[in-house]
Amino acid sequence: MVRALWVDGDAPRAGEPRAVRSGRIDDGRGRQPALLLWMPGPRSYTREDVAELHLPGSPPLLRCAFERLVAAGARPAGPGEFTRRAFESGRIDLTRAEGVLALVGARCAEERRAALALVAGGLAERVGGLRSALEELRATCEASLDFEEAETGHVPRADLERAARAVAEALAEALRWERRRAPSSGEARVVLAGAPNAGKSTLFNALTEDGAALVSGQAGTTRDVIEGSWTLGGTRVTLVDGAGEGSEEVTEGTVDALARDRARGAREAADLVLWVVDAARTDASAIVAEAAGLPAAAPCVLAWSRLDEACATPRPPEEVLAAGRPALWAAVSAVAGTGLDDLAAACSGVLGLGAAQSGALGLGGLPRELSERHGAGLRAAADALAAGLDAWSGGATLDLFAAHLREATDALDEIDGRTTSEAVLDRLFDRFCIGK
Amino acid sequence: MQARSDDDPARTHPHPAPAAEGFGFDLIVVGGGHAGVEAALGAARLGARTALVTWRTDLIGEMSCNPAIGGLGKGQLVKEIDALGGVMGRAADETGIQFRMLNTRKGAAVRAPRCQSDRHRYRERVTAAVVGADGVELRGGAVEALLLAGESGAPRVAGVRLAGGEELRSPAVVLTTGTFLRAVMHTGDEVTEGGRVGERSSVGLGEQLAALGVATGRHKTGTPPRLDAASIDFEHLEPQLGDERPRPFSWATERAAFPRLEQVACHVTWTNPGTHERIRSNIHRAPMYAGRIDGVGPRYCPSVEDKVMRFADRDRHQVFLEPEGLESDVVYVNGVSTSLPAEVQEDFLRTIEGLERAAFLRHGYAVEYDFVLPGQLTDTLAVRSLPGLYLAGQINGTSGYEEAAGQGLLAGANAALWTQDRAPLVFGRHEAYLGVMVDDLVVRNPTEPYRMFTSRAEYRLLLRQDNADRRLTPTAATLGLAGPDQPAACEARSASIERATGLLAELRTAGGRSLADDLKRPEVRLAERVGDHPELAWLADDEELCEAVETEIKYAGYVRRQGEDVERLARRERTEIPADFDYAAISGLAGEAREKLARLRPVTLGVASRVDGVRPPDLALLAVHLERRRRDPQAAPRR
Repeated sequence: MVRALWVDGDAPRAGEPRAVRSGRIDDGRGRQPALLLWMPGPRSYTREDVAELHLPGSPPLLRCAFERLVAAGARPAGPGEFTRRAFESGRIDLTRAEGVLALVGARCAEERRAALALVAGGLAERVGGLRSALEELRATCEASLDFEEAETGHVPRADLERAARAVAEALAEALRWERRRAPSSGEARVVLAGAPNAGKSTLFNALTEDGAALVSGQAGTTRDVIEGSWTLGGTRVTLVDGAGEGSEEVTEGTVDALARDRARGAREAADLVLWVVDAARTDASAIVAEAAGLPAAAPCVLAWSRLDEACATPRPPEEVLAAGRPALWAAVSAVAGTGLDDLAAACSGVLGLGAAQSGALGLGGLPRELSERHGAGLRAAADALAAGLDAWSGGATLDLFAAHLREATDALDEIDGRTTSEAVLDRLFDRFCIGK
Repeated sequence: MQARSDDDPARTHPHPAPAAEGFGFDLIVVGGGHAGVEAALGAARLGARTALVTWRTDLIGEMSCNPAIGGLGKGQLVKEIDALGGVMGRAADETGIQFRMLNTRKGAAVRAPRCQSDRHRYRERVTAAVVGADGVELRGGAVEALLLAGESGAPRVAGVRLAGGEELRSPAVVLTTGTFLRAVMHTGDEVTEGGRVGERSSVGLGEQLAALGVATGRHKTGTPPRLDAASIDFEHLEPQLGDERPRPFSWATERAAFPRLEQVACHVTWTNPGTHERIRSNIHRAPMYAGRIDGVGPRYCPSVEDKVMRFADRDRHQVFLEPEGLESDVVYVNGVSTSLPAEVQEDFLRTIEGLERAAFLRHGYAVEYDFVLPGQLTDTLAVRSLPGLYLAGQINGTSGYEEAAGQGLLAGANAALWTQDRAPLVFGRHEAYLGVMVDDLVVRNPTEPYRMFTSRAEYRLLLRQDNADRRLTPTAATLGLAGPDQPAACEARSASIERATGLLAELRTAGGRSLADDLKRPEVRLAERVGDHPELAWLADDEELCEAVETEIKYAGYVRRQGEDVERLARRERTEIPADFDYAAISGLAGEAREKLARLRPVTLGVASRVDGVRPPDLALLAVHLERRRRDPQAAPRR
């Protein structure tokens, strides 16, 4: 397929895997430069043959190339499809798969760290350790059941009980660890974006109770990323302000470049981008281009700002709205305090607040749900063991205690997918809108 | 309980039923051991014309090793065999000289009956059952080869040829040749051909199986010395008595007349550092250690030389002196299975307390023999590659009389059902230890001797010795496999248990709780409460019934949960994998899983999940492809 598009440069042939080739592809309307990375299975992420095309970061060019590839028989990946394939081919275990999904969805350093730990197999190893302790206990218990008291296999009750309590403590410790690791806040992050001096910080101060952003008429006043609390229809979200990004070149290595990078990082982690545009602007095509440069992963709401200004137009140009981005818009004046409720309603609607809390956007819910699933597995294992110890010390026989131990092992197995039901897999791989 | 459903799609014979014409018998059973006997009797109960061929008609039902039936995990098997109309339980009840219920303190699910048998009387009782059975013809003779029919590329069984050249024709043959395939006996450096002392080895049959492409492995097993009772100083040894109120295996055994025979004691003694020293200094003369035996021995039943070498930190091992019968002088020395040279055996055994003057009637020996890798069988115990051939017992790599008898019953019944074009008898892992055993054999393809343990059963709490009849007799009754009075007796017992649990839910204790709730407490015994309530007086004399009722109540919560587990996995267990399923066409399947699945051909997704080396991603992938194929049978798998 790639070969059909390839027009010059080194001809891409199977052979010499994992090497980068440069050339051009014919996207149907013209030629564009491309890099090709060919990874034959099984040494690829999914263990299948993988070809990666690296193309210029221009949305129109990308769209052309994408359409051309689809016409040639390619199909966009379904939600979570690459990771599902990697899981199905045995390339990664379930917790690692979840880690990848969580990493893509991570919104802050804390979550990223937790996700990376999953990808690296942190949880799998931890569960593995618990499982082997539990299996050791089970083996001893089973030996005791399958050998008479006089035989070698029999283990005195006190020894079994001591071992069981040690495993119970290890499970409790793992639960505490899992709880610490869980994302501390489920609050959605709304990040301000827009050209320098569009009025982001003024809006930030108007919307947040404790708004303390430095405001001036000079472009580039905001350097650092600052956060405040904004209450949207009864739900608190985190509002984030950072340096604006316009068309001017920023010299690398300067404070301006640092400020830009920080703001970019904040926008990439957004659940919602609140795009602020000066209502006095009339350069519609430049505004459309600006919209295309906003982070693609999060939905966008437009604040048609500074309505109080003399030369402001009451609504954004039609081309801007027709481009499909933003999802909603509201005309506001932070100074006059008008339109702020409309803006809150728009943001609240796009975030799905008040309706289903998590998962509705394919964002935010993932890490929470993940840590819940892991926590639930550990808790089920701990509960099963506790119930077993309880029954046993109440006089129940060893065969019943053994049944509890089995249940505890099953609960651990569920965590890393040893016995995962289809339902769990479907939920994991389909519900979250993440390609890889 | 969970009776097998006949419409279960996975429960089919691997080959179309044979033509009925031109055969003298419906099936021929080769071998008269515990497997062969149950196979022949079971087939005959189903109305099949059966021949049992054995080269020693005087050794039918012989106990080649220890004179005992039952034990942990095995007692449950005997109860299941009995529930299906088998002879083992009744024969053990009538010829037992000591009965014990094992593991009584560890719970109803692992409690198991065991008895010492009068070896001679047991054999006579079983022989009488075979001779007296309608539809079983007993033939003395050695089977030299299977008769085959069909094209050369696709042979099927047509009977057997005996040593004298006589041919017996049948569409099905059940081989139960035990340890006799290419068998070699070892005592020190003495090597003799044969599967049991004084008997020969079956070479021709083994070679024919190999030529037919049947793959085999090699096992070894051992047996301890037999001593003369008069030479043992019992006086200083600790006696081990049977239970005060012994319980029979069979529900058919009349309780009032049980036990029939005088009950005797076994005795316990111990090895000591002196014993171990003598074994250690001669270890180079043991065939296993000298490298003369390649077969794999059972880890759970080690020879005494193994125990001494592997558990070097233990300074003593228990030895049981078991009488082989009421009039017999022979004492079986349980715990010191050995293949050391005769003079070493005498030397080390005489260091043991009570055995200082021991006179040997027979020395211990090891047997090495071929077994068929059981992964080549289907869940009906039929050989997949040769229509009409069924295998049961030690030939499948198992050890133990009970394991053999259970397989014999299933193989005989399935061979008969196959020739009758009726649905096979296959139990799920949640239904019977028999189901666990067959599934383990054909799916896991074990390469070390297979013995039943309760821990092999994931639904152990459902598979108790006290409910074996309720689990299995209804199915046996439907098929016509049960004994004549069995179905009615089972129904009566079920009704009594139901009546009792109903009453217990209604009756109140002094504190106002229901008796059923009260009984859920571990320390409360039904037998002790029966006297307080006249409504329960009818239970008073039936200790077994009381126990069964009590277990039902105490285990109810656990049983319900295991039942839910079974339910949860049922869909997977029912998802059939077509016999022609092309594993090679599924990309992404791990290499090991692909190879094993293609070789073992699991019949359902549930079975596939138990194949060693098949992981959840493989299963998920398999499930997707099965579903796709179900929706569109023509669709080729996605590459």
